[in-house]
Amino acid sequence: MWGIVSADNRLKALSAIWLVFFVVSASAISHEWARMTSELVSEEGEPHYGLPDLWDGQQVVCIHFPDNSSHPDYSDGRHHIDYDGTDFMTDSDSNATGACVGGFSGYENGFDLMLDATNVTGGKLEVGYTVSEWGPYVQSIGGHEPTGNAYWALYHDGAMAMVGIGDLVLDEDSVIIWQVDTW
Amino acid sequence: MLGAHAIEVGPLGMLAINISLLALVGWALLRAERGLPDGREWTLLAMLAIFGIFGRVLLEPLPNIQPVTVLVLLVGVHMGAKRSIALAAVIALGSNMLMGHGLWTLYQALGWSLVGCLGAFAATHLNTLPRIAGAAALCGFLFDWVISLSILHTLGPSMLPAYIIAGLPFDLLHAMGNLFFAAWLASPLADIINRHQGVTLEATENVQVTA
Repeated sequence: MWGIVSADNRLKALSAIWLVFFVVSASAISHEWARMTSELVSEEGEPHYGLPDLWDGQQVVCIHFPDNSSHPDYSDGRHHIDYDGTDFMTDSDSNATGACVGGFSGYENGFDLMLDATNVTGGKLEVGYTVSEWGPYVQSIGGHEPTGNAYWALYHDGAMAMVGIGDLVLDEDSVIIWQVDTW
Repeated sequence: MLGAHAIEVGPLGMLAINISLLALVGWALLRAERGLPDGREWTLLAMLAIFGIFGRVLLEPLPNIQPVTVLVLLVGVHMGAKRSIALAAVIALGSNMLMGHGLWTLYQALGWSLVGCLGAFAATHLNTLPRIAGAAALCGFLFDWVISLSILHTLGPSMLPAYIIAGLPFDLLHAMGNLFFAAWLASPLADIINRHQGVTLEATENVQVTA
C-alpha cells in the first residue's frame, strides 16, 4: 500500500510523524544534549564553582573522599551525576575525588536533599547516620567512616555550616559539600 | 457573573485550542483568497502576513515550531526577494507586538529576510517538494544562527560557538517544523501565489514580451 502512495504524500506523512516524535522527545533530547555540552562553572567564589553549568540555579550535593581513602567507583576524579542517576561528566582535574549529585530543586531541608541525592547512586553513596536529640548525625558516606579525630564535615555554599544537616535550610541553588575534616 | 472564564486548561488543552484557532484562521483566509480576483499580489501578501503572525503566536507553546520561515522561503521562491523581505519584517514586528518587541525583532527580521533572499536566489533549483522541504529544514538552522548573533551585544564572540552548539536541539525542532510546513504548504501556496502574480513577478520583469 505504501508503494502506491506518491512521494509527495509520503513526505507529508513522514514529516508529520517526525514532527510529533521530535516534539514529544524534545525535553529528553534537550536535556541529554545539555549534559553532553555542559561546561564547568569558572567563576571562583561562586557556590557552583567547578560544577557543570547545567546545574546553575539548582541544588547540588557533593561528597569528597579523603586522598588516602577514595571511593572505588569515584577514584579517578570528581564525578557529576544528574538527578536521575546519569553519571555524565568526570572532572579529572578536580582537587577532590568523589561525586556531586545535582539538578535538584524545591528542597528546603538539607537532610531530605542529601538522602534523595545519595539514593540516586544506587547505594554507592549510602549514608549511615544516627539520630539524637540534636538531629541526624552522619557517620559514614559511601562506606567510608572516619576514625580518630576525623569526621564528615558539612559545608553549605562554600562555608562550614553552622547547624547540622537536619536543621540546614536550603536556598534554591544551594550546594552542600561533605568532606572529611579533623578536630 | 458566572465564572465560566475560570475554567483551567492544561498545556495540552491550550495547544489544542491554539491549533484549532490557527486552522480556523487558515481556513477563513483560504476562503477569502478564493473570492479575490486574480492578480491581487499585495492583498495575498497581507493575508500571508496575517497567517504568519497568528501562526507564530498561536504555536508559541511548541518549542521553535512556527510556519513563518517556510512562508518567507516560499514567497522568496515564487515572488522574489523584495516581497519576502517585506513579509519577513511585517511578520517579525507584528508578532512581536504580541509576544514582546526588542532588539531581537531586528535579528528575526534579518534572519527571515535572508531566508527569503536565499529562496529567491535558488528559486530555479527549488522546483520539487523534496528540494523545498530540504531547503526549509536547512533554513531553520540558518535562521536560528542569525538570531544567535544577537548575543554578541552582551557576550563576547568567544561564547558564540558554545551558544550555537547548546541550541542545536532547538534548531533541530525548527528544522523538523519547517519540513512539516513545507511538505503541507508548498504546493497549495505555489498555486495560490501563481494565480495572483500576473506580469509583476520579479523573475519575469525583464523578459521581453513579444506579440
